[in-house]
Amino acid sequence: MSSVIEQIEQQIANLQTKTVATNTGKILTVGDGVAKIDGLSEVMYNEMIEFPGGTIGIALNLEEDEVGAVVLGESNHLKEGDEVKCTGTLLSVPVGNGMLGRVVDALGRPVDGKGAIDTAESYPVEKIAPGIIERKSVDQPLMTGIQAIDSMIPIGRGQRELIIGDRGTGKTTIAIDTIINQANINKVGLASGDPDFRPVYSIYVAVGQKNSNVARTLGVLEEKGALEYTIVVSAPAADSAANQYLAPYTGAALGEWFMANGQDALIVYDDLSKHAAAYRQMSLILKRPSGREAYPGDVFYLHSRLLERSARVNEDNGNGSLTALPIIETLAGDLSAYIPTNVISITDGQIFLETDLFNQGIRPAVSVGLSVSRVGSAAQIKATKQVAGKIKLELAQFRELAAFAQFGSDLDAKTKAQLDRGARIVELFKQPAFNPIAIEQQVVVLWAMQNNYLDDIDVSEMVLASDSLRDFLVSRKEALLTIIREKAEIDDDLSGQLKTAVNEWKNSFQA
Amino acid sequence: MKQDKQIKNFAKQLLQASLESGEVSTERVDGVLKSLAKNPPRHHIAILKAYIKLVEREVAKGTAVINYAGELSSDMIVGIVNQLSAKYGRSITSVLREDPSLVAGLRVVVDCDVYDASIASSLASLETSLS
Repeated sequence: MSSVIEQIEQQIANLQTKTVATNTGKILTVGDGVAKIDGLSEVMYNEMIEFPGGTIGIALNLEEDEVGAVVLGESNHLKEGDEVKCTGTLLSVPVGNGMLGRVVDALGRPVDGKGAIDTAESYPVEKIAPGIIERKSVDQPLMTGIQAIDSMIPIGRGQRELIIGDRGTGKTTIAIDTIINQANINKVGLASGDPDFRPVYSIYVAVGQKNSNVARTLGVLEEKGALEYTIVVSAPAADSAANQYLAPYTGAALGEWFMANGQDALIVYDDLSKHAAAYRQMSLILKRPSGREAYPGDVFYLHSRLLERSARVNEDNGNGSLTALPIIETLAGDLSAYIPTNVISITDGQIFLETDLFNQGIRPAVSVGLSVSRVGSAAQIKATKQVAGKIKLELAQFRELAAFAQFGSDLDAKTKAQLDRGARIVELFKQPAFNPIAIEQQVVVLWAMQNNYLDDIDVSEMVLASDSLRDFLVSRKEALLTIIREKAEIDDDLSGQLKTAVNEWKNSFQA
Repeated sequence: MKQDKQIKNFAKQLLQASLESGEVSTERVDGVLKSLAKNPPRHHIAILKAYIKLVEREVAKGTAVINYAGELSSDMIVGIVNQLSAKYGRSITSVLREDPSLVAGLRVVVDCDVYDASIASSLASLETSLS
């Protein structure tokens, strides 16, 4: 009791008795989460403004006579004539390691019922992306744990790789797998005590999603032990358009903090189609002129300024990175719609997921022909390059030949061999959801296939064989896996060890 | 949309005609209103509404509304008006309003700017810091 009184006395002693100057305005109209305000002559663009009852808004339209602002949160209590105050600060959110393992809303406030977040720092939500002088080429890999991606469409730290596809094709699953894989790598790396190990922290931004989907994702992350390395920013479908618009920038601010402190972070924007739709809604209510598909003219800038914040900075700037995996949902596989083309042109490559492949049971349903990674191959480890260098070409040839082979029965031996190899690769790349595979295990499986150890196994048993080989390696050849992980290259000595190990496994598998 | 712009521009021109040495002149406003009554333009009601708004805003720029609780000496009022005139670079007139809800102290409003030195606002900030 006495401590409370002391605290109050302290607060009273600190009370400022000097005059406080504020710039104010009055609400003219309010509706749909948007307020038109008269006054606020000194308000800045994107400045936080304070409505009665402590409600926060952002000034977005600075017009000659009035200011258009979006209200973040409840706006039902606001009425015409209410006083609005400038705060003099741009919108910022709390950041730091204390945010890890937490679920926050678009303003960085906890929504997981685990109490207050222990962090003292804050970071501006909108910030200019690092310039060319501060940047460095992407040269470190970011393993997704998905064989088809790590071998054919590798991603580097600091890259922006778009995940695009129709609804229900496994876009979110790829992103969640990647987050789980970072957590798995972090656990091994931090336990090894290697001083050069750089953990990757993840930020998952859910925009306009159903709360049940977010809850399911959280459940998976928690079950796989990945939540402790992850921050979830949630602006579900029930949130206002303003919060949905803001959430990706909040996530970017959280990720940028890691990058600015010389650490690596991964951010997933799930998804930017809904983000663009929320921005369109907001812009139309703010009476901004609309363009193609009723999106405002600056919808490209909306995403370009967000994704440009993902970067790899050089040693002089902390050597950190922020890798982005934006997600875009297409309609009937139409890549040429407005938002998909915009984001494709902004990012450094895309992973295209096909509904047909998904329905055929090829999961992840990565379309080899339409997927590309423009910078990631520079970051791919040498061991993966050695075993997977030709796979993308082989698989592309297989798809083409398979289409032709449907029309003819007589095929020459070379074509048959190519078809057989292709079918094996397709089977090998099948992988269940939320089950990322460590890169050293991927290397061994691909090495075994490239060196024809799997040729005499029936195509239908390829998944079984791959699982069996990996189980064998984990249980019996842990040392070999560690060597591959540390060396990241297959030399003659390692090749010999691999031969022995795979032969040993094959005897047991056939038996 | 285009019509709104034309109305606003017309109202602005009327405001310019109502200023004398950069300040609103009662005589000139009277002249403008008489002229409008004599030759009403198209959309004259909308124009008049926009004109009133502009005049009110212009008047507010030169008026300090002093809300106070407790005693306020005439020296203090003169001091406030002089300081504000110097700050804004224009002559400011004062309007006094007693407001017991301030508890004590005063709150001066000039256009969009609010200068608050009242006990009520100090108590409100104390409430925020303790909540």
